Formats: sequence, C-alpha cells, structure tokens
Amino acid sequence: MPIDVGTVRKIAALARLRVAPEDEERYVRELVAILAYVEQLQELDVEGIEPTSTVVAGEPPPLRPDEEKPSDIHEDALGQAPDREGDYFRVPRVV
Amino acid sequence: MSAPIHHETAEELARSVREGSRSAGEIARAFLARTGKTSERLGTYLHLDPEAILAQAARVDERKAKGETLGPLAGVPVAIKDNICIRGVPTTCGSLILERYRPPYDAHVIQRLRAADAVLFGKTNCDEFAMGSSNENSAYKPVRNPWDLERVPGGSSGGSAATVAAREAPLALGSDTGGSVRQPAAFCGVVGLKPTYGSVSRYGLVAFASSLDQIGPLARGARDAALLYDAISGRDECDMTSRPEAKAVDLDEIERGVKGLTIGIPSALLSEGLDPEIRASLDAVRAELKRLGAGEAEVALPHAKHAIATYYLIAPAEASSNLARYDGVRYGLRAGNGDLKGMYEATRGLGFGREVTRRILLGTYALSAGYYDAYYLRAQKVRTLIRRDFTEAFAKADAILLPVTPTPPFKLGEKADDPLAMYLNDIYSIPASLAGVPAVSFPAGFTKSGLPIGLQLVGKPFDETTILRIARTWEKASDDAWRAPAIAEEVA
Repeated sequence: MPIDVGTVRKIAALARLRVAPEDEERYVRELVAILAYVEQLQELDVEGIEPTSTVVAGEPPPLRPDEEKPSDIHEDALGQAPDREGDYFRVPRVV
Repeated sequence: MSAPIHHETAEELARSVREGSRSAGEIARAFLARTGKTSERLGTYLHLDPEAILAQAARVDERKAKGETLGPLAGVPVAIKDNICIRGVPTTCGSLILERYRPPYDAHVIQRLRAADAVLFGKTNCDEFAMGSSNENSAYKPVRNPWDLERVPGGSSGGSAATVAAREAPLALGSDTGGSVRQPAAFCGVVGLKPTYGSVSRYGLVAFASSLDQIGPLARGARDAALLYDAISGRDECDMTSRPEAKAVDLDEIERGVKGLTIGIPSALLSEGLDPEIRASLDAVRAELKRLGAGEAEVALPHAKHAIATYYLIAPAEASSNLARYDGVRYGLRAGNGDLKGMYEATRGLGFGREVTRRILLGTYALSAGYYDAYYLRAQKVRTLIRRDFTEAFAKADAILLPVTPTPPFKLGEKADDPLAMYLNDIYSIPASLAGVPAVSFPAGFTKSGLPIGLQLVGKPFDETTILRIARTWEKASDDAWRAPAIAEEVA
C-alpha cells in the first residue's frame, strides 16, 4: 500500500498522536523516502532464518527472591501527576 | 608545575582525592568554574545544580576526613545524559513531554556511581529520547561542537561528548542505541564505549529501543573509559537482560600492546562514500598497529550494508511501543480538554518533536496489521544474518577496525531537513548495535581543517578489554590523542 495522507492519519490515530494538518504532507514525503530505502531488505533470502528479538544468549539469569522491600516513593510518584485526587491519578471522564 | 585540574585524567583526580593531596571540593569547584565559562556557548547542559554538586563533594571529603576507604571514582565529576534517572533531579530526555519530570528513583548506574564516590555533575543535553545524530533534536537547545561552534557535536549523546571534549567534566555517561555514544565521541575527539548488550544495567535508562539500548562511558582516554565502565558494569537483578558474563576491564591488561592480536579489516565496507581524510586516518592507524606487532585479517560482514534498513525498522518499532507510556496520565505534560482519547492525542502531539513523531509513525506502520511480516519480522531475520557475519569475522580476528562515521562533523542545519540523509550517517555504528557486540570510538587524528576524526574497534561479546587495549596502544603511540580544543584552553 502506498503511503498517503490517509495512511499517515490512520497510523497517527493508532499511535494516539495528533499530527497537525500542515505537517501531514511532510510526514508522507519522509515516510515514502524511508520505506523506499528499507525496501532493499525484500531482496534478501531469509528463508529458514530465525528472527532475532534479543541478542541475549545463554541461561536466563536466576530469578531474584520474591521478597517484600520497603518503598518510600509513594508521594514522589503521585506528586508528578498532572492531575490527582487523593491517592488517585485523575483523567478525563471515560464512561 | 602540574597541569590545571581540568586537564588531569579521572584516574589522576581520583588518586589525588584518595591520597589526600586534593579535596573533592577543590575538584568540583574547578570544573564548575570551567563549565560556567563555556557551557552556555556549547549548550552542553539541561540541568546543572552547583550546590548539589558541592554537597556531594563535601560528603566525599567528610568520608576521607573520617579515614574511610574511598571508591575508584573518589571525587570525580561525572556528567549524566539526561535520559538516565537520578532521584529528584529533572530528567527530560531532551523532550517537552518530560519537562517537569523528576524520577522517584536512581538508575542502577547512578547507584553504582554513588557507591564509587563519584560526584554526579550536570544532566547533559541530548537528542529527544536519544533519537538523532546531531543533537539538533533536543527540544531545548542544540549542542555545538567544541572544535567548531558552527558544527554539530554528533548525537544523541552530544552534550556528554562535548562536555568531556571541552574539559567541562572529566567523564560522562551516554547511551548508545545505534551509535549515540560512539558517533558524538568521534565528532568531538574523545573516547566513547558502547559495551556489550547486557553488560550495563538499563534499569533507570529511559527506554528507546530496548533490544539495542546500552549505557556507555565517554572519557578523554581509554584508561578513563575503562575506569568508568568498571564502575557501572555487572549484573543487576532489576534488568532481566543484564548478564552475569559481564566482566571488568583490567587496567594492567590494556597496557600490554597489540602483539599477537589480529585486527579484522572489512575492505568491502570502506569504499563507497567514505571521506578520503577518514580513509587516510584509518590506513595510518592500520600501519601503526602493524608496526607495533598486530596481525591483520580480511573480514567480510556481507550483510552490514543492510544494517541501516534493518535498524530503521527495528528501532522505531520498539520506540513506538516504548513511548506509548507518555500519555499524560501519571507524569509529564498533559494537554487537551474533553475525552481521554483526545487528551492522549493532544498531549503526545504537543509533547513530541518531529523526529520522535516520525519514528513513532514509522514504527507503528512497521508493526501494523499486514506489514508486520514484511517489515518488522523480516528486519529481525536480517538482524540474525548480521549477527552471524560478526561470529564468522571473530573466528578470524580479535577485533574489527572501522570508521565511526563516513564524514567529519557537519554544520548545524546541513542535514536537518533530510532525515534519510541523517540516518545514512550511521552506516558504520549500527552493525555492532544490531549484533550486540562491544565497540569503542577513539580519536585518530584530525582533518586538515582541524576537525577530529574518530575510528572504531568492534570486539567479541564481553571482550571490552581487547578493544580498549588496542585503543590504548594507539593512544600511547599517537602524538595528538590528547589535543584539546581551543575553547578548553581559555583561561578560567
């Protein structure tokens, strides 16, 4: 599917990202150029090749003991909220 | 007469504090004075709190006065890239969306630096969420190259590289996802190490592309880079990708020269688009290492030419997922009125800059229904081919010598409107990132116009020692590895 303004709007909506109308054409141009460049990967034969999602190899590290640890960040964490009510983060009405 | 404090190595500074010939306070004041003189022009810091720095130095001096044993970085200022969390200290990642964020915890590397008696210096400027190769993507201000203020310092750890080059701080931490420690180190004429993936805990490093991100040291020489690497590396139970195989670099071992080591040369990668002066510098380093006893082997890396295409699918895909957390609910910016979805969209639309937005769009597209197999999954398979190339190359060589960048530092604005041109700049740094292997960028001379040239040594997994040993050998043989930019020589 070729990328056009409609595609940019659709993926912006999927990413919950508002793109200003005056910027849409530029993102189309840039994404078209980048996707044309990455098209080179289609030429490679990757039949039977396992994908790499992580380079970490070997035994997984041992799990740490599941112990209670003191935490004093309650107020530090809640204090960052753009909007709070008591011990809750407040957001615009959902239902 | 001894050198002014700001020209001393971190190793010398720490020794002087441990031996009591200098106080941590004296060192902190000297670097604050330097920084005060140049950092506004260079744009190196997003946050610098002299009182907090002097208070940390005073604690080190108190410990010394009580006769306590001090750590390996006693009293040494270490600048911290602004995507690494320090409890209670602003951590913006160069983004408006985190303008007021103060993390409620210390990153693992910060805990380790405190334990080593280092003094946490300022938070350094960087490209927004570490996405960029020029530091022009900081939402706050660009960083300028200390060797030529019209030019970029590289990115994304541009502030960390520039501050070390300008002698504003002896050491700095950066983060490297596709070259973000090595490339600015090359552009600014300092040493930058990207450790093996899994050597340094990512706990408290704000995530960009989790399968690639790695924190690394920037320093003026190989020994100082090793000193900082040793302070931060090792297993951490808070990062499931942190590996027990990580081992410290032995500072005696890196003095052993290059006799008996084989340097791999990927000739096929060294033709197209490589600046002739960088090519000449690479040939000069090759000749010198040979003269000092190193062997040479041709290595292939046949899939490295596809590394940029691979990276610019994988990294944006991971970024689009990682950056979903910036939603205006729990911290950071919130914008928009009306419903929840509108709040998300307005917050993210306002809070993210162009480069970050473009990468989220690209990553979302590459992961979306119908394109996942053709883009993301295929890129992951090519990543396997690139890793295999390195495994084969390391059967023949102990380390691989490469440029870091195809060109010397470019001018501010030169590539700002052409993202693909900017991405192509990463051709030499990305392969090691995709393979997860360690790589160090080290100063290797200057262009005729006086701009630094950096070269890169790529090593076997968890063998940071060998690449630092080769870089150290070159540094001892070179006559200009310690040259400082004019801005660092200005009398304080």
